[in-house]
Amino acid sequence: MTDRDVISTHGLSKRFGERVAVEGLTLAVPAGEIVGLLGPNGAGKTTTLRMLAGIIAPTSGTATVNGLDPATAPEKVHESVGFLTESPGFYERLSAERNLAYFAAFYDGIDAKAAARRGLERMGLAGRAGDKVGAFSKGMKQRLALARVLLHEPRVLFLDEPTASLDPEAARDLRELIVSLKEDGRTILLSTHNLTEAEELCDRIAVFRTRLVALDTPDALRERQFERRMRVRLAFVTEGWLAALRAEPFVRSVEREEDGALNVRLVDPDRDRSRLVARIVEMGGQILEVREDERSLEDVYLSLIEKAAP
Amino acid sequence: MRRRVWNVVRMEWAGIAATPSSLLFLAVIPALLVGQAIFLSWIVPRFVNPAILGPGGGSADSFRLLILKQFPFFVLLIPAMIANVFATLSIVEEKVTRTLEPLLATPVRTWELLVGKIVAGAVPALLVAWASAALFTAAGFGLGWGPLLRILFTPTFFLSMFLLMPAVSLMSFVIGVIGSSRASDAKAAQNLAVVIIFPIFALIAVQVTGLVEFTPLRTLFLSLALLAADGLLLRAAVRLFARESIVTRWK
Repeated sequence: MTDRDVISTHGLSKRFGERVAVEGLTLAVPAGEIVGLLGPNGAGKTTTLRMLAGIIAPTSGTATVNGLDPATAPEKVHESVGFLTESPGFYERLSAERNLAYFAAFYDGIDAKAAARRGLERMGLAGRAGDKVGAFSKGMKQRLALARVLLHEPRVLFLDEPTASLDPEAARDLRELIVSLKEDGRTILLSTHNLTEAEELCDRIAVFRTRLVALDTPDALRERQFERRMRVRLAFVTEGWLAALRAEPFVRSVEREEDGALNVRLVDPDRDRSRLVARIVEMGGQILEVREDERSLEDVYLSLIEKAAP
Repeated sequence: MRRRVWNVVRMEWAGIAATPSSLLFLAVIPALLVGQAIFLSWIVPRFVNPAILGPGGGSADSFRLLILKQFPFFVLLIPAMIANVFATLSIVEEKVTRTLEPLLATPVRTWELLVGKIVAGAVPALLVAWASAALFTAAGFGLGWGPLLRILFTPTFFLSMFLLMPAVSLMSFVIGVIGSSRASDAKAAQNLAVVIIFPIFALIAVQVTGLVEFTPLRTLFLSLALLAADGLLLRAAVRLFARESIVTRWK
């Protein structure tokens, strides 16, 4: 942990009776970073967010958020963080503005009505301020929930599956809002099942299955999990060429795939890519396509989760 | 601190005001109870056999007075019935609408939330009960029972109205909120609500059967004991409000 870390946990664990929900989580998130929690259902993502937000207490281990311990000073933590719960949850018979003003009035030193209006404007809902929340679409409710989370301008946000069950357009809008929150310098811990979203939004990804399986940038996770490969498609291939390529010092292996393309592992993909192309051309090969065979985050995730399976 | 309690109170009232059925309930139940009390006080003495009043019998007025004397206890049912609906649903409804977790993520303390919910229900219930008593009295005078009602206006009556009733009203709501926070669903919460009404029926039974005569001193002691019990129950309510299991076990 460093002075820059605004969220840190050490051996954080939670049991519900015999069931272990989170086991020995050690994590540090510096200011201004978005970390995504990825994991299957029941992996402990929501439990982790709830512990950090001071909603439930850990069974063992410690956590600090903004220098405060959520287990011993939950109300202080609530004052300094925003927690977007999995379900938006509003008083549907009341207006959007009344709902926001209600939640805002729990924070000291806030003009609740002004905060509510500001929140509605920020989320593009000012025109619907007086409408009952029951008439809102899922996307609007989720935006309203995000407005609620930001009422007291917290610097740390816990977002639990923010785009779950939203249509693609609403999900995209919400992702843009999350990006703008990061640009404001907020620190965000985000749980999601959406791997594309995780890759798009997060600086680092924590793959989670009760315990932390891996924590790194998406690229680093890829590299760690899968060796980088070049995929080369030629007009035709001879056995002689294959043997010649395998003999090159910068080539670690060459495999021929079912569709005829070559799968080439290089010693240093960034440095040796051009040398590979030059050598094939020199041998008289007609290159139709050369690209790095990128593994998706889904491949990385599934591979990690499979390895972590009990 | 007070601001947060007041915030909960205002929100609860806004919720009631936005629900026509709640407003209707607040108006109809007391009206039915008062109407029933007036009707019984009017009709029963007309058909009663004077012999049941004991050796030598008695007048219809003395029988009517006997019935009227039950009213201060009968009216205690009003806050209990209102609590039955509002208090028992207070926390369960937050669970159902999924507003409880966002609420618990704010700096609101458990006691602030519970006191807000209790006050928000108990105050209108008390006002409705007092309005019902006023209505009953006005109707009684209108029906020419003035002399009987004057006999009824003893210190016990006033202690019952202004000390016992608030104590009972608070207790009804505290018990209702405890039931609501412990119940697994709305139906279970309402089943628990019978606990609220039962002691009041017991109080009425004790009064009607004449087992205990409620003198001013007894009424005062009973009221103070109930107020003390309200304080203890409120502390229990805060302890029994298990944030963790409410958040994690509610489906």
